[in-house]
Amino acid sequence: MKNLIIAFNRLILFAFLSVTIWSCTSPASESTADKQEESTQIAHQTHLVEITQMKFNPEVVTVKIGDKITFVNHDMVAHDITEESSKKWSSSSLQPEQTWTLDVTESNNYYCSLHPVMKGKIIVE
Amino acid sequence: MIKSRTLSMLKVGMIACFFIPSSFVLAQQSQQLSDPQIASVAVTANQIDIDYAQIALTHSKNSDVLNFARTMANDHKAVIGQAVALVTKLKVTPETNAVTKKLLSDAEKTKKELEQKKGKAFDKAYVNNEVAYHKAVIAAVESLLIPETDNAELKSLLQNVLPALKTHLSHAEMLQKMIAK
Repeated sequence: MKNLIIAFNRLILFAFLSVTIWSCTSPASESTADKQEESTQIAHQTHLVEITQMKFNPEVVTVKIGDKITFVNHDMVAHDITEESSKKWSSSSLQPEQTWTLDVTESNNYYCSLHPVMKGKIIVE
Repeated sequence: MIKSRTLSMLKVGMIACFFIPSSFVLAQQSQQLSDPQIASVAVTANQIDIDYAQIALTHSKNSDVLNFARTMANDHKAVIGQAVALVTKLKVTPETNAVTKKLLSDAEKTKKELEQKKGKAFDKAYVNNEVAYHKAVIAAVESLLIPETDNAELKSLLQNVLPALKTHLSHAEMLQKMIAK
């Protein structure tokens, strides 16, 4: 009888330890990492600017540093996206339905150097 | 399906007024324009501006004018490409007509005038012509060609071209001011 009680106690202890160890192992850690990564992804968004009817839509985009802006050319003619003050950055020529993505580091005015009357603005908040 | 259709004498006269001298209006008043003929006028009008751009690319040394001319050549080639794709899909051949021919003959005169000019005089003449030409084409496309086109896809193409034409005009007017300084 005494041996049976000892065996039962060991079984309870084993079960307790198993649950404790399982709760502290990698699945829970990965879950935390996933949440952190998800949080980062939410913090750095990708914004969309569509080029249609010879205009940037929307013309003004408000973003955070680290965000990305993807430009897509829906017009029948080529366009580019060029920083306006000193041409610090520029896409290559975007043919119809091509896209280009900018990593935002600061507020900028930009324009299409092929059609200089087409303008847009990036505001970093 | 593109249907052959008739524009009234008044409408044809109005189209002629936008593109060409008044003397031609009288000569064209009895003409009839169908959708294939409208397609021909549209393609020809684009090709003429490409031809003007080619002259600018060999005559101008102004980087802004050269940039504009390259854009005109590329954009109007793109429009012609769209038009050719559409008429090919519809199995329709753009039909040369009196308006097309008059556009071409007037363009020949303008090209000869441009080719005789050099330097700043050329830049001024080219840009002034681009402003006037785009104003005329926009007015014709907006007020006449679009309303009078039967085929929905051809009408849609003309509507989609308008923003590009208006942007070209604004660009040309911007250059006009720069050159005048």
